[in-house]
Amino acid sequence: MRWTTVCIAACWLLGAEPAPAAPPGALATPRTGAVAATPALPQDLSCLTCHPAQGDVLGGPMATRAAERDFACRAFGEREGRAFFTAACAGCHVTTCRDCHDGQPHAAAGSVAPRVAPLVADDACLRCHQGYFTGWEYHGRAPREDHERYQRGPVADGLNYLKMLPDVHQERGLGCADCHRVHADGGRGAVLACRDCHPSPSRDVPEHAIAGHLEKMECWACHSAWAAQEYGTFLVRTRTAAQDTAFFGLPLQGGWRRSAALRRQDAPPLGLNGRGLVSPIRPQFVLLATDPARGWENRLLAAEWKAFFPHTVRRGTVTCDGCHSNPRRFLLEPPADRIYDLRRDGLPLDSWWDQAGQRVVDGAFFTRERHDLMNRRTPEYVREHLRQWQDLLRPDAGSSRP
Amino acid sequence: MRTPVGIVLVLGLAALLPQLAACGGAARSAPADERCLDCHQGLETASPSHDGCVSCHGGNPAARDKESAHRGIFGLADPSYAGRWERGCGGCHPHQLERMRSSQMYTNAGMIAQIQATWEGRRDSVTYAARGAKLHDLDGEPLTHTSVVGLDNLSGDLYRKFCARCHVAKQNDATDGAGHAAGCAACHFPWAEDATYRGGDPTMHGRSPHSRTHAMEGLPTMEACTRCHHRSGRVALAYQGLNDGNNGLVPTKDGLPGPLPGSDGRNYSHIAPDVHFAAGMECIDCHTSREVMGEGYASAGLHGQLEIGCEDCHGSATQAPKFDAAWGEHELPARESRQYGQRLPAGARVALTGKGRPYANVFDDGGQVGVLLKRSGRVLRSPVITGTPAHTVAGHERIACHTCHSRTVVQCYGCHTTYDKREYGWDYLAGRATVGSFSETEDVRALYPFPLAVDTKGRIGTVTPGCQTFINVIEPDGTLSRDEDVATFRGRRQLRFAPFFGHNTGTRAVGCSECHGNPAFLGFGQHLVERGRLRGTLLCEKDPRKPLDGFLHEDQDGVKAHAAMSRDGARPLDAQEARRFFTVNLCLVCHDRANDPIYRKPLDTHALDDSLHRRLLAAGR
Repeated sequence: MRWTTVCIAACWLLGAEPAPAAPPGALATPRTGAVAATPALPQDLSCLTCHPAQGDVLGGPMATRAAERDFACRAFGEREGRAFFTAACAGCHVTTCRDCHDGQPHAAAGSVAPRVAPLVADDACLRCHQGYFTGWEYHGRAPREDHERYQRGPVADGLNYLKMLPDVHQERGLGCADCHRVHADGGRGAVLACRDCHPSPSRDVPEHAIAGHLEKMECWACHSAWAAQEYGTFLVRTRTAAQDTAFFGLPLQGGWRRSAALRRQDAPPLGLNGRGLVSPIRPQFVLLATDPARGWENRLLAAEWKAFFPHTVRRGTVTCDGCHSNPRRFLLEPPADRIYDLRRDGLPLDSWWDQAGQRVVDGAFFTRERHDLMNRRTPEYVREHLRQWQDLLRPDAGSSRP
Repeated sequence: MRTPVGIVLVLGLAALLPQLAACGGAARSAPADERCLDCHQGLETASPSHDGCVSCHGGNPAARDKESAHRGIFGLADPSYAGRWERGCGGCHPHQLERMRSSQMYTNAGMIAQIQATWEGRRDSVTYAARGAKLHDLDGEPLTHTSVVGLDNLSGDLYRKFCARCHVAKQNDATDGAGHAAGCAACHFPWAEDATYRGGDPTMHGRSPHSRTHAMEGLPTMEACTRCHHRSGRVALAYQGLNDGNNGLVPTKDGLPGPLPGSDGRNYSHIAPDVHFAAGMECIDCHTSREVMGEGYASAGLHGQLEIGCEDCHGSATQAPKFDAAWGEHELPARESRQYGQRLPAGARVALTGKGRPYANVFDDGGQVGVLLKRSGRVLRSPVITGTPAHTVAGHERIACHTCHSRTVVQCYGCHTTYDKREYGWDYLAGRATVGSFSETEDVRALYPFPLAVDTKGRIGTVTPGCQTFINVIEPDGTLSRDEDVATFRGRRQLRFAPFFGHNTGTRAVGCSECHGNPAFLGFGQHLVERGRLRGTLLCEKDPRKPLDGFLHEDQDGVKAHAAMSRDGARPLDAQEARRFFTVNLCLVCHDRANDPIYRKPLDTHALDDSLHRRLLAAGR
């Protein structure tokens, strides 16, 4: 990653105009106060002169957005995927230090006092980490339906959002940078784990008393209060005036009209993440496209789910029955329980909550065997289930009381 | 005092006799002096008994040119002219005309009263209706309806500019699935999706708005019902397994919004249909003509006009369906079933509605309940649930059938309505644009889970937002005089839910734990348990302590309702009822089947302390 930074800097250096010997306003090195003798970097990257290690982030995931690019290539094929990525996704990639660090980097020529806070404010993160992408929900914002009929209510970053319960850490004043270190690990970033701050979950909490919960589940599998979920992300390429008129109310993305068959913002389905632990999963993305010029009508380009961490952490959780006795949350919905009839809609899937034809790109779905095992009414389960409800029914105590 | 129905019918028939004679009754040829078919060759005969032109349409049948021939046609200049059906249909069918004038589809009195109650926060002593009229109420007392044209406030304008489009006495020219004729023709001459005539008359072919053909449907089709009942509660959609979801316009159909396009740029996707629809039943196979056309006495609202219930065919927990004694060929069921695909055999015992009136298609079929499909004549068997374990759970005495058997209930959360006095909006009653236009935005829609509350009859049933209206009013100078305002209802500012049957039932019932273990069914919305309290996660913008998708929340003082039920007598479950609801979870974790003996009597949670339970719970420690 370090090499990436060097390359980025080298490119700018090689392409730069020769700098005057002592340009007005040229940066002074922090250590000596001497005016830098090297050719000036463009203002946006000049920070790297003194903070070369911080440049690693410019080769990291926020700059390359490799995950999104790779998804686009898997969905559309390499060539078109890259073109789609450039047109639809690349607007949010980090290119300069000031994308995150607002303000003048230093007070004035010759001064070494920085005006930027070493920790970036959440607003800077949320300029990109908005909508369906993790970040907004931390502040209690969920994406709205795409159609203009639903575009109302409070606005952040130019987008209307649904008002949701925010993350408890946000309520207590913690910002993104209090847990996340973007520049750590050579630009790949590092983050505090829940147990770094909460090392000993109380066994007095009924859910914590079940050993399997603490051993096999991410904390956020239970403690994520809700998550934005998008079932069936649709792209429509309009080729006729009739299409232009019909889809006018939907947003444009990379030359396509974008919509979704179903959005939800409740407790998300559960699966296994890359560490083999139970984690929330969500479609990211079940992508379908219509393009009359290619004969595409709701063509399924990808049916990918992703293990993720909804930043909606609360002390509380759903009830036991919110997960146990709820096969839909594990994409094991019995056919008789199906509500949405996707086949009759012309889609090549039986149900959004049926694993067939879908996959988790960074983990796995629950197997039926494991689900059935989980739903056994063992004495341990029965005891803690009772305790949860007895706590809820007792006015002065709570199942998730610390 | 109320006049017995039978007497009314006899008198009505006596009054009808001269007209029936004049109309000819049975099939007849068009009078020789009617020259209409010279031009309208290929036009379908409305029905064997409706084969002339002038008796229904008026006009000048002897004329040889179009202009003079059409002179005098009822409602030629105004399809919503009341004389069109009063003279065209009412001349031969005065009793049916009087019934229709009393029905909610014609008066819209209940709809207007609800709008008044929820928008203005009060009900006037005056009863407004789509048209002014002198009627009789359900008790036979005189009733005066004042025209809503005189309701000069936001409620009146909302009705005239939104709701009146579906008034049965007003033609709706829409060609996107919402169009219908005015008067009797709204139901009996159904319009196609595009409101275009596709029949055999070349002079009319492809013209719009007109009925699909000139063939009369004595039995209204589902298509006719759907023209209006695809909005608001959307029951006609849910019944057929269609969902007017999120305006996402996808999946596409032929590159355009799909999978099925709806009116006003909406789109419908497919969901599991109602089990009765899947069995081949249409709207009219449950709903009696008295419910659909009115019964001659005007109810205050929709529910007063309804008379049927699930129990009529399936029985209640304790009472099997009731049947009337054998009936003769001149009685109501016989007359009503005249147009059915098959008439019930004379002497059959017919089931009774909640008002004690006879069905014309539900009968005692050798000890079973037979349901005759009115159009096809096919007979279905209706399973009776009386006395079965699943339906005799102690504590479920108040539960309505659709509480457990609804697959979905459509829910629209957050209806943000703006009334802009700087713009003009079309007044469907006046037939012209007047000052003030309405526009709507909303927050989210949902189908499942669905909240429950106590309904007008004291039963626990499904409810839906009705309505969560946030009112915005923009004055002529552009200032906002009402900003996301919540109207005062029953003395305080609160949103409202309404008892509502979603018409999307299944044989599959909501499971015991599925319901009792999910507080969303009680009206807490999507939620979590935090510090021993339920806390909503989808929040009201005006008060983040309260869920938008529910009407109950918990604070330090316990369970509280923050929204009302908008029908008289209906209410959310109270704290004690909620507690009882949740207490069942102490048993359900092991006793998870409705036929478990413990559910034959009130729950004894102290049983958890007996030696058996203590031993079981101690196992594995």
